[in-house]
Amino acid sequence: MQKIELMAPAGNFESLQAALDNGADSVYFGVEQLNMRARATVNFTLDDLDEIVKRCEAKNVRSYLTLNTIIYDHDLSIVKTLVNKAKEANITAVIAMDQAVISMAREAGMEVHISTQINVTNIETVKFYAMFADTMVLSRELSLRQVKKITEQIEKDQIKGPSGNLVEIEIFGHGALCMAVSGKCYLSLHSDNSSANRGACKQNCRKKYTVIDQETGFEMELDNEYIMSPKDLCTIDFLNEVADAGVKVLKIEGRGRAPEYVAKVIKCYREAIDSIENGTYSKEEVIEWMKTLETVYNRGFWSGYYLGQKLGEWSKGSGSHATQKKVYIGKGTHYFPKAQVGEFKIEAYNLNVGDTILITGPSTGAQEMQVENMFVNDQKLSEGKKGDMVTLKLPFRIRQSDKLYKIVENKVEA
Amino acid sequence: MVVVTLQRKKCIGCNYCVELAPNQFQMSKKDGKTVLLHGQDKKGFFTLKSNDELIFDACDNAAKACPVKIISVKQV
Ligand code: SF4
Repeated sequence: MQKIELMAPAGNFESLQAALDNGADSVYFGVEQLNMRARATVNFTLDDLDEIVKRCEAKNVRSYLTLNTIIYDHDLSIVKTLVNKAKEANITAVIAMDQAVISMAREAGMEVHISTQINVTNIETVKFYAMFADTMVLSRELSLRQVKKITEQIEKDQIKGPSGNLVEIEIFGHGALCMAVSGKCYLSLHSDNSSANRGACKQNCRKKYTVIDQETGFEMELDNEYIMSPKDLCTIDFLNEVADAGVKVLKIEGRGRAPEYVAKVIKCYREAIDSIENGTYSKEEVIEWMKTLETVYNRGFWSGYYLGQKLGEWSKGSGSHATQKKVYIGKGTHYFPKAQVGEFKIEAYNLNVGDTILITGPSTGAQEMQVENMFVNDQKLSEGKKGDMVTLKLPFRIRQSDKLYKIVENKVEA
Repeated sequence: MVVVTLQRKKCIGCNYCVELAPNQFQMSKKDGKTVLLHGQDKKGFFTLKSNDELIFDACDNAAKACPVKIISVKQV
């Protein structure tokens, strides 16, 4: 069996580095406005492409540019610019939903991946898009049994993409699911004139609702007001079945998430994929991974539609159910490479020996560790306060302005 | 006088402003983002001062519809 490719989200350089450091096989990201995270405050720009590719190539990681919104006439020339620049920068492939993007990317000689918004749900559609694309995300609503039938048929009929290799099937492995069919939704357009299909989703489905009978004004009591907000997808506890279904690429959702989210989720799935490969995948390991996954942003977990049966399981809250959170305490000021010591300025709260800390930065990614001992203003102490300069032994390099956080328990309402 | 501004950098090119105020906004074919017609451009920050009070409503609708809230309209 060919190993599953682990595909990580990268919304900025911090997350990109976190993905690369924790074992992603490929990363996907958007630049400028034509991607599903167009509203994000930080988005890569065209000028970042070279740096992204440089970092990916150093680790032998594939890079995918998402160009997957709906496309208007006025977008065509920027699409062309983006595609050409991607080709020039040596980006591995373009993830597309609009036929114009597919066609322009093919013209430029770029590898194309079919985005989930196209809703590939059957073998004939796979055959059709095989004329243009080497990898396809199947619709999120298929069960693993249906996925397996499709991958088997690809083998049997020898359906090949433009590269001459068999078409590879990708599925969503972990992260937010929404109520819309494979991400196509009109809610925010109706409520706020803000098109989710242009990357401007207002997340209406994540809010609390009451149902009112317009004739009588009778308000329906709902068990759970989050009637449109499904829990997050998690496949780590049946990843062996995912592999069995012939899936070649596992996509992790979360370009809007923090770098430590990317670091932890990618690390868990990396270990899980490797353990399937070497035959050590076990229940005990799954329990440990689940514990780790719960520490970062989540709305509670469910298995999506992969195991058939049930409709959406609804989340019990609008925000995260993460069991941990980070608190900002200061920033990096210096690194002494010979002594492997990093210096930080404490700007809020206290730092104590025994604390778990998280350091993030565009080149540092997201590094977590425990403080074993530290120097505060050059004295060996166990507590540093606001205004203090502390130095810590660090096995990795930090940069000026890297952010220092403390990881604390997050009280989750039951 | 009506003063309209546009912070173009964050535009996602969704086209709503053009549909709502076609005489004031136009999509640029070059980068797929909107342009404030007859506006003064300072590094992507457009300002239009106009004595035509009739443009207020259209621009106000565009400002309300813009998903990234980069259009503002004032009557001064
Ligand atoms: S409505 Fe806003 S985001 Fe959309 S094109 Fe106009 S300025 Fe850009």
